[in-house]
Amino acid sequence: MSLNVSLLLDGELEPAEVKPALEELAANSGLRDRYTLYGLAGDALRGNSTPDDGFSIRIFERMKREGVKIEPGYDPLED
Amino acid sequence: MQSVERAYAEKRMAEKEADAELVRLAQAGDERAFQALVVKYQRRIARHVARYVKRANDVEEVVQDAFMRAYRGLASYRGDASFYSWLYRIASNAAFSFLKKNAGELPVADERSDDGFEPGLTDEQTPERVLLARQIGEVVERAMARLQPELAEALVLFEVEGKSYKEIAQMLGTPIGTVRTRIFRAREFIARRLEPVLGPARDRRW
Repeated sequence: MSLNVSLLLDGELEPAEVKPALEELAANSGLRDRYTLYGLAGDALRGNSTPDDGFSIRIFERMKREGVKIEPGYDPLED
Repeated sequence: MQSVERAYAEKRMAEKEADAELVRLAQAGDERAFQALVVKYQRRIARHVARYVKRANDVEEVVQDAFMRAYRGLASYRGDASFYSWLYRIASNAAFSFLKKNAGELPVADERSDDGFEPGLTDEQTPERVLLARQIGEVVERAMARLQPELAEALVLFEVEGKSYKEIAQMLGTPIGTVRTRIFRAREFIARRLEPVLGPARDRRW
């Protein structure tokens, strides 16, 4: 439900509730829309109302295309 | 009115603990958790990068690099700083690497102003996207003006002042469950007004 999306965005779910909330998001595009819109509303209140317009999707697509994996021992702050 | 920078700084403090479980799941290999973090922070990271990199397409490339570096290095994140602070530093490094690699070929961004930047766009499309961003800002402003004051208050305390739910409950003398509901209802009120502006297929597909 959308309330859980709002709580997920804010880190206010109990740890045990986060994974089920992510599963709900994965299964429901309407909830993913809510997650995005709630985030946009918050950023707009802080003066940044730039629309996503597929920006996040292109990040995921490139990560998939390039086969990006977690690399133990790699420190991005040293890169 | 406080500056945007200060608002972000305060929010970062409140977020130090907020992302802990998402990060833990992402470190354990849950890609959905990392995606939720990307969607949450991409706009802020893009604005940060746009201070150094001028062209919208270049900003997008650098932001993508930053999130990929972050994902590759998730195992190195220990939680000493907030996830956003960590990401912010990675994005700075990615921007500086990009500038070094492309030295002499790029226009220089004006560090004093990031007005007009729209991520994910070709430079030719930027004016249209600037207009859309302005419309979004106006819709949010109008929605806030029409929102029940107690809902608007809770949302501003959280999003702008960077207070935690617990702090807001203490400040307003309400149960924390009331804070949850007020913030959620405020967001829903705004989201319903944003939907027609953005359209069904834009901005929200992930």
